[in-house]
Amino acid sequence: MAERKTIIIDPVTRIEGHSKITLHLDEQGRVEDARFHVTQFRGFEKFCEGRPFSEMPSLMARICGICPVSHLIASAKACDALLAVKIPPTSDKLRRIFGLAQVVQSHALSLFHLSSPDLLLGMDADPAKSNLFGVLEKYPQLARDGINLRKFGQQIIERLGGKRIHPAWVVPGGVSNPLSQEDRDAILQTIPEALAIAVRSIVWLKGTMERFREEIASFGNFPSLFMGTVKEDGGLTFYDGKLRIVDASGHVVANRLDPARYFDFLGEKVEPWSYLKSAYYKPKGFPDGIYRVGPLARLNVSDRCGTPRADQELAEFHELQRTAVLSSFHYHQARLIEILYCVERLEELLNDPEILSKHVRAIARPNALEGVGAAEAPRGTLFHHYKIDEQGLIRWCNLIIATGQNNLAMNRSVLQVAQRYVRGEKLTHGMLNRVEAVIRAYDPCLSCSTHAVGQMALKVQLLSRDGDVLDEVKR
Amino acid sequence: MNSENKFADRILVIAYGNPLRSDDGVAWQAAEEIRRKLAFLGEVICTHQLTPELAEDSSRADTVIFLDATGNGDPGKVVCEPVSVERLQACFSHHLTPAQVLGLCKQLYQASPRGFLISISGECFDHGDELSPRVVSAVPQSVALVNDLLRRLKSSSNCCESQPAIV
Repeated sequence: MAERKTIIIDPVTRIEGHSKITLHLDEQGRVEDARFHVTQFRGFEKFCEGRPFSEMPSLMARICGICPVSHLIASAKACDALLAVKIPPTSDKLRRIFGLAQVVQSHALSLFHLSSPDLLLGMDADPAKSNLFGVLEKYPQLARDGINLRKFGQQIIERLGGKRIHPAWVVPGGVSNPLSQEDRDAILQTIPEALAIAVRSIVWLKGTMERFREEIASFGNFPSLFMGTVKEDGGLTFYDGKLRIVDASGHVVANRLDPARYFDFLGEKVEPWSYLKSAYYKPKGFPDGIYRVGPLARLNVSDRCGTPRADQELAEFHELQRTAVLSSFHYHQARLIEILYCVERLEELLNDPEILSKHVRAIARPNALEGVGAAEAPRGTLFHHYKIDEQGLIRWCNLIIATGQNNLAMNRSVLQVAQRYVRGEKLTHGMLNRVEAVIRAYDPCLSCSTHAVGQMALKVQLLSRDGDVLDEVKR
Repeated sequence: MNSENKFADRILVIAYGNPLRSDDGVAWQAAEEIRRKLAFLGEVICTHQLTPELAEDSSRADTVIFLDATGNGDPGKVVCEPVSVERLQACFSHHLTPAQVLGLCKQLYQASPRGFLISISGECFDHGDELSPRVVSAVPQSVALVNDLLRRLKSSSNCCESQPAIV
């Protein structure tokens, strides 16, 4: 009788954090199961217990070097709820600017630095060249665009927060300092170039789609729910709003859900083979409550962006399928549309007549013992939930991170790609890279989601039915 | 300390390291001193690690001075050496070497600023935001070395390239 075998990809490369993939083969050498394992552990929820709540935004920003701003914002919003204050309108707008700048720099990192080698050099390219530096040799303008776009976002963060990584400018009750006219004007000067890059990048990406018909068909192309935050009018938002969930046909399953009541409708399951929990939509149970978050989901749940150029692109995006756009390959295009929206919205906010107001912080003592803050991080919806004691010390903390909410979908996507491309007991680079590429489409941030230190690395292992390692590829 | 604003070159100082890892943050502290004492100098960037975006900053400079902590050498020792451009090979784009930043600068922006790396030997790289006593004394030394480097660049544009300064 033939043996069942497993292929292990460890570490997964060009993502944020540490993971491995195991592909389980049946007796005929066909992939029958696949698992995306997150192999790092951090434990922020535990070690912040006992800290003063006012420290939380700064502590939480340390979770991630890519999206510290999202953690700052969600954490500060949870602290606003503890203070039970309404923050000054200008600080609300400044936080939005901060968040949008981060979405631009994070999306630029994902698309240009991590995924563009697959899109430009091909899925079967030499792994030694399949990186940003391989791209810059052949496509220097695109590499420059990626670098400049990321820098655009980082510079806004630096101007507002004082530094590019782990800024501590967002605080409970608002922000610590107002925006100066000099900084506002300097940022506005950089908008036209960022806008031009965003526009030509979308043209480029749409022009490549035809070459990836097979990948579009098999990269996480399956029915699922999609969740994101929308404004009252159903428009795209990253800072504030209510949650909307749509199904694969594009119909709204749940609307105007209060993010502060996330625990009523979202559950988390722990699997013994990964440090990353799997979130699911409770009314559908586990695992049928599989849902996706992030750029693809946000555009699937949003009726409009609310800015002219991004609205045009969104309308075209919605035409990709009569239903919701199902293929996770389209995360890339969704990411660029969001960049375009962010740049347009940044210009609007920076020209707001109130934006230079000096009144940017509400001061209060804690007025509630429990608070939830939610925001749309680049990778999807982010929840921070704190409970404090009468002294204002953290007694309990729960963080639900976007990557965890995409965990079920990432696992199913890996299985779909592996079943399409992996044959036999030996791995080829093209097979391996496609399995990794579908993970990259989600832009998982494992440092965030396991709440890592060290180098990122991918291992793929091929295991027998008895668990023996038959083949192993490491990077 | 010489603080005359008469240096024609555009100078960029890039200090990198982790300020929450004790002596690994020495470059940040040296950068602060450079900002204070050599205000005429130009842009000073503090960052955790060298990333591709710094190539664009470097492309607008005539001279780029990298400041970093090193685990090699006697604690507090400060060494300056020229940086030559390195052609980029397969590498992870989250962090680069000074030579790779200049390589990227040349490839993407067709700019070739002079590069120097000032390395400060550390002693303790544990969690903490304070420098070891012997490394504290390296901060003024590295500022003096930058000043000396600028003075020599002003008098002879290539002096350091032929004879790296060692303090």
